[in-house]
Amino acid sequence: MEFNRVVGTRRSIRFFKSWRPVEREKLQVMFEAANRASRSMNADYFRAIVVNRDDLDAETRDALRNPTTTADLDLAPTYIFWYIDMNYVEGAQDRLKALVDQHALSAAHGWSRAYVDDFLWPQVLEPISKDMSAVLFMGAVETGIAICNAINAAVDQGLGTCMHAFTANETVKSLLGVPDSWFPVWLQLVGYPAEEPEAGGQRPRNPISTLFFEGHTDHPFEEDPEVTERLKREGMLQTPGPFPYRAQEVKMLSRMYGLPE
Amino acid sequence: MTDTARTGPDRTAIGVVGEAGTGIGGPGPGIGEAGPGIGEPGPGELPEHLAAVAAAPSVQRWMHRSGDDVAGARLADLEMLQRFCASLGTDPDELIAQCLRSTKSGDTAISAAGRRKTDQAISAFVAAEGASGRDAIVLGNKLRGFLIHNGIFMQGSAAID
Ligand SMILES: Cc1cc2nc3c(=O)[nH]c(=O)nc-3n(C[C@H](O)[C@H](O)[C@H](O)COP(=O)(O)O)c2cc1C
Repeated sequence: MEFNRVVGTRRSIRFFKSWRPVEREKLQVMFEAANRASRSMNADYFRAIVVNRDDLDAETRDALRNPTTTADLDLAPTYIFWYIDMNYVEGAQDRLKALVDQHALSAAHGWSRAYVDDFLWPQVLEPISKDMSAVLFMGAVETGIAICNAINAAVDQGLGTCMHAFTANETVKSLLGVPDSWFPVWLQLVGYPAEEPEAGGQRPRNPISTLFFEGHTDHPFEEDPEVTERLKREGMLQTPGPFPYRAQEVKMLSRMYGLPE
Repeated sequence: MTDTARTGPDRTAIGVVGEAGTGIGGPGPGIGEAGPGIGEPGPGELPEHLAAVAAAPSVQRWMHRSGDDVAGARLADLEMLQRFCASLGTDPDELIAQCLRSTKSGDTAISAAGRRKTDQAISAFVAAEGASGRDAIVLGNKLRGFLIHNGIFMQGSAAID
């Protein structure tokens, strides 16, 4: 799929084909995509554990349930538990110097091995590593960026996915051997959509002019109608929901799975 | 894939309890099937023992969700709710009230404890009705639907076997 169409087709999918497993190779693509995400300090902020629903015993699956995530756990065949590794700053000094050696960071932009060793590490990065709120803040942002790549890679491969609140960390922790330094972030459910991939149409979003500004907050970024039309053709902007038959789609899926209507 | 990992009657999941029985899942319109609509004959034809339940504002709210009025509701749903409430010695509006609490600022919030208790009561009711497997899930989720359409956010298990 073309990039613009991937972005435009992504939805939070909540009805999965419970019977259809996700191929391991598709997971690998998602993980490589996440691993290609930009990251400050070139650090490994995130960790993730992928688990097949059917490899979890009933007790563990029940422990994962919370009021907003119950049926989804039955329907999605694949769970990805995302964490921040709170030790991500470790090794930043060497990683940044490696980027200098690779000329990814160069003198053209002020970078040198000496800057990393003499100033950046002792005065900026090491103090950050001891400031828990900074570690959490950066970790959450950077893990989110990686997850976003994984989401889009899933959509590109015809998968559906939805992020969910990740509760029952203690249960998961002992079962999956999660180190103390990993902080739980989100649970990503993955599978093949049982609903149409468009899931009833694109979700309402405010126009970009309410979110983006040009030069000053007095000047909203006004869209160029020609670009808007192109994005419609290329699939980034799609028919807004709800499709006329969406209520019926949800009703029939709910009946299939015995869910509340 | 192990059997225990699948949704099945042996699970202790929310809303999935009980072994095979004849209750609700027995002959006649199954839990998941459309029961005889009571919309056609008109509201006047509601069986007498359901009149009070059908008149409850919370039930009206539930039934209005799809544009129906109570008369358009499925008799089986009302029957089930009536039996559930009777099993708890309560009525529909009170059932909703038990899932709510007042906050310090005077707002109404969902009571986590009340919701948990009600969810457990649904599981117990389903078991007592003798429903199992898919029937048990459908029955439990129908009752959850009543709560959901009255604003009590909750989910039940899905029938995937
Ligand atoms: C970080 C994150 C956490 C989310 N958590 C939940 C959740 O716990 N349960 C749920 O049903 N949806 C969850 N969602 C999905 C959002 O509700 C969804 O993105 C939103 O409704 C917009 O729809 P769309 O994703 O289809 O565009 C989450 C989404 C994100 C990005």
